[in-house]
Amino acid sequence: MQYPVEIPGVTTLMFLKTALNAQRRARGEKELDAMSVLKLVRARAAQLKVSEEMLKRALNVGFSGGEKKRLEILQMSLFEPSLAVLDETDSGLDIDALRLVADGVNALRSPKRAMLVITHYQRLLDYIVPDKIHVLSAGRIIKEGGKELAHELEAKGYEQIVKDAA
Amino acid sequence: MNAVRTKAAENFRAHGVPHRRVEAWKYSDLKSVVDIDQITSSDAAKWTIDAEGVEVTDLGDGGFAGAMGEASLAFSKAGFGLRVAKAGTVRVNFFSPGQARVRIIVEPGATLDYVETAGGSGFQNIGMDVSLGEDAVLTHVRVAGKSNGVRVEDVNVAVAKRGTYRLHAAHFGSDLSRLELKVSLNGEGASVHLAGVSVLDNAHADVTTHIIHAKGDTQSTQLLKHVAGGKARAVYQGKITVAEGANGSDSRQTAKALLFDERAEADLKPELEIFADDVKCAHGAAVGDLDADSLFYLRARGIPEDEARGLLIRAFLHEAFDGVRDDLRELLWTSVEEAL
Repeated sequence: MQYPVEIPGVTTLMFLKTALNAQRRARGEKELDAMSVLKLVRARAAQLKVSEEMLKRALNVGFSGGEKKRLEILQMSLFEPSLAVLDETDSGLDIDALRLVADGVNALRSPKRAMLVITHYQRLLDYIVPDKIHVLSAGRIIKEGGKELAHELEAKGYEQIVKDAA
Repeated sequence: MNAVRTKAAENFRAHGVPHRRVEAWKYSDLKSVVDIDQITSSDAAKWTIDAEGVEVTDLGDGGFAGAMGEASLAFSKAGFGLRVAKAGTVRVNFFSPGQARVRIIVEPGATLDYVETAGGSGFQNIGMDVSLGEDAVLTHVRVAGKSNGVRVEDVNVAVAKRGTYRLHAAHFGSDLSRLELKVSLNGEGASVHLAGVSVLDNAHADVTTHIIHAKGDTQSTQLLKHVAGGKARAVYQGKITVAEGANGSDSRQTAKALLFDERAEADLKPELEIFADDVKCAHGAAVGDLDADSLFYLRARGIPEDEARGLLIRAFLHEAFDGVRDDLRELLWTSVEEAL
């Protein structure tokens, strides 16, 4: 789901607490009590400029595009997944919001975690510098390379690569 | 009073126990679960009461909303009357089968919190007659626990100028349970606000209301949320009458139900009778299951399905108590949590 669902009646904090503890439980870790969750959420939220007021609001209800994206990154930061898929995380973000989101993502980079970042644009990759680039066309990976591949694509487009692959 | 009771008894016997072919009782077939002798010769209901700021008064002329209110007037062997001159708080617990009459007078400018719980099994029928003076405020909380048997409460309320009647109700159902409410907004600026939830598992709960905007610039809001599982039946019948000349009346009613079993049923029936020109009447009803996208979003974040459903059900119900005072909301919500 590229666009987070609005859920009236469930506060953002309540959702984060429930999901965090569900994931901890599933991993065999100890659940956190309400105070510990609040402390953890506040600390991570501050880094992503997610306000206290946003945490009290119903999940995603009335959030701007940027706020929704920041909340998704906050979830990633709290839930610490071993694989994260970021599907067009840059859509609808202005440059400041993009930087904030990218900082959040970069802070989570770790040898223990894989991230699949999907984008149509080079711009995001200036902020989240990829280790590897894969070009997906018609359900197939048709080219792979390092971060320089993004610049090559930006300059020449996809047409030649698609032709070569055919 | 005796003449009034005698007439009520005659009238009730003439019509007999309400049944499903009587329009107002279509979804609550009382006759199938109670016979007339149980009503005409029932014991006095028992209660405990804890009251401050009130004085005792007589039972008055006995107004009622519907047939069972009339029965309580005719046949109940017990009751109490309360008058509030300034500020009062009352907690009542009806804990036994039987019938009782309650009369409440809130004098002009006075306020009363009336918190009522109903428990026990068997046949229980409480008839309330309430009058609110100018600028008076009554906050009525009703928590009716799940029971085996039949539980009816009939509430008749008259509200004078700028008076406010609030009813916050949590119902957990019985073999047959019914709250029948009639509110007459008799003076400009008078208002009624009803917020209620029913949480039903293999049980029946009926909320039937009739709001009469007798004068202009009166306001009524109603928000009912039902969740029903198993072979449950949730009923809401909301009738609004706006009298001729009651211009500027503003009436809103919303009833929603979530059904979790194909055997569960919700009957939501708004009914409007409008004789004035310049009025606002909004009504809406919706029956369904939990929103699939919301459920997917929560599950995609690792929340197990049961827990995700629990979150969404609580969110759905909680909206009914959004505007309720903190201490009362907590009391109501505790009863909801116990039922979920």
